[in-house]
Amino acid sequence: MKTVTIRLIVMAVFLTAAIGVKAQLTGREIIKKVYDRPTGNDQTSILTMTLTNSSGQTRIRKIKQFTKDFGKVEKKIMFFMSPADVRNTSFMNWSYDNDNADDQWIYLPALKKVKRISSDSKSDYFMGSDFTYDDLGDRKLDADVHKLLREETLNGNPCYVVESVSKDKDYMYSKTITWIRKDSFVGVKKEFYDEDGELLKILEIKKVANISGIWVIEHSLMKNVQRNHSTDISLSDVKINSGVNASMFTERMMMRGL
Amino acid sequence: MKTKLTVFIIILLLWGSGYIQAQGVEVSGFARTYEGVLVDNGNFGIVQQTLNLNFEKKGNKVAFKANPMLYMYNSDSLDLRMREIYMDMYFKNFDLRLGKQQVVWGKADGVFITDIVSPLNLSEFLLADFDEIRTGVISAKLDYYIGNGTIEAIWIPQFTPTIRPASNSIWYVQPDFPAPAKFDWSKDKVTPSLENSEAFLKYSTITSNVDFSVMAGYTWDDNPTMHVQKIFGRDTSTMPPKPYLKSLIITPQHHRLAVGGGSFSTEIKGLIFRGEAAYYHGKYFQTKDPKAIDAIVQKDYLNYVIGLDFSVGEVKMSTQFIQKYILDYDSQLIDDEAQNMATFLLRYDMMRETLHLQLFSYIGLNKGDALIRPKITYDYEDGFSILLGSNIFVGDKEGMFGQYYNNSMVYCKIKYSF
Repeated sequence: MKTVTIRLIVMAVFLTAAIGVKAQLTGREIIKKVYDRPTGNDQTSILTMTLTNSSGQTRIRKIKQFTKDFGKVEKKIMFFMSPADVRNTSFMNWSYDNDNADDQWIYLPALKKVKRISSDSKSDYFMGSDFTYDDLGDRKLDADVHKLLREETLNGNPCYVVESVSKDKDYMYSKTITWIRKDSFVGVKKEFYDEDGELLKILEIKKVANISGIWVIEHSLMKNVQRNHSTDISLSDVKINSGVNASMFTERMMMRGL
Repeated sequence: MKTKLTVFIIILLLWGSGYIQAQGVEVSGFARTYEGVLVDNGNFGIVQQTLNLNFEKKGNKVAFKANPMLYMYNSDSLDLRMREIYMDMYFKNFDLRLGKQQVVWGKADGVFITDIVSPLNLSEFLLADFDEIRTGVISAKLDYYIGNGTIEAIWIPQFTPTIRPASNSIWYVQPDFPAPAKFDWSKDKVTPSLENSEAFLKYSTITSNVDFSVMAGYTWDDNPTMHVQKIFGRDTSTMPPKPYLKSLIITPQHHRLAVGGGSFSTEIKGLIFRGEAAYYHGKYFQTKDPKAIDAIVQKDYLNYVIGLDFSVGEVKMSTQFIQKYILDYDSQLIDDEAQNMATFLLRYDMMRETLHLQLFSYIGLNKGDALIRPKITYDYEDGFSILLGSNIFVGDKEGMFGQYYNNSMVYCKIKYSF
């Protein structure tokens, strides 16, 4: 009887361990779930960026943006509403599922023409904010090596903590560390480390809302801890799957504007 | 009288703007002060105050825009220009724009190859901002959309020539004639008529690999051809009397041009390659050939540009090579067979995009002259910028840029956008 009990206990321990190993996601699998999280077929919102400098002075940028998933390509168009000197500027990005580089165009109303621009400058900061184009866009899953560091609770939410290191040694971040909620696979905090391995920026997600069954980050704050300035991003008038027309993502609409 | 009328119109515009805003019309624009000092003698080369107003209303089916601009030169000269005023009609697959409008074509920066629909205002040479260097044309424009492509058809009932510097301007270049010259302006105007209208057609598309366009135009040469009639006298102080060039009668006249061309832009490994070319048929060139009627001869020419945009670190750069090549060249022509030019642009944004450093340069490769334009812009506040810059003319004094060696200038522009 005793032998049987011991055997059962040993089997149970092995089984539990086996299930545990199988259930334990790798860093890559976690990030893949973040990337694969449903975002809807299309999305419309007004993005307000508040840039605060080290003296506490603020500048505000307002953008209306439309995104649509066309299967192998995701298209995005942004119309700049303010400040006055950039009003009616528009920006369009086509991002591909394969390894093709993004296509990007900008329309400057003063020049009255749509210009193709290089998508290679993803390390450039977007409109003087603390977000680079790369921070705002979808990074390719295998551009980084992902490693699960630990699991911990953040603001009452159980999270995975994943470190991502770029395969490109010249990349502007030596690593990033992301806190990802286990229940929704939404990243809720991210630390960015500079090329010297020093903490550069911290992104905190302030509000996540479920709109039409889709998790949407509605409010986030990026702080540059080295230069003591920050950028607050909030989304309003968010609409998911509202049937944005494919013709929105064309040169015609870039020039016509809102 | 004209000044009083201009002031009245502006007061009416400003007074009315509050009312029309209430009607859902969006009012935007800028106020700008622009002062430049000539390096050569310390004189003010430019003292200009500008008010730019944009009235716009957009609907799903129709829209309109009116863009009056008021320029005040020195302290007393007012110049009101209606830069654009047009109505839009939007349909499912096409749009129609009617009225005075600026049309910008091509992929080149700062040079005009297929970008020939809107003529240029060269009253300040090439120094005006690119959005102010073009003049609007009264026209009907139809844009028909097929996928990511657009067919653009433009009809211009009334020809508008290039605006040249006034004879009292520092940008006016006195022509050097071998004998006293008299101008006959009787043929300078093109009578507005159906027969004299202009037409342009373009197909353009953007794709994941390349953006390109092809265009054709039946237009007028924006710059008049100088028909030169030579009047000979007889020098009776010699025996036998010798003929000599007594005077010239110069008759500026615009001629028809047929133009066909295209442009492309593509990205290869983070570099943007651009190109644009146009074939011009019907252009008249000045010639030294004594047998040539009116001292001109008709030749076709090719005008093209190739350009590259790239980044070095956070510095954005762009360079272009431009060539104007006269076909079936004749050595008697005043112009060179190939006129080569290059441009170079360098831009660096710093302090979270509030401080912008820029250097733009035109380089005339035939004569070895250049216009170098460094500038620094600080965004003191959103919509409020302070610009300090310089226009430096260097090189051969017979070159397009070197001829203005006396006009090198430092300047300041302060602009408030609203």
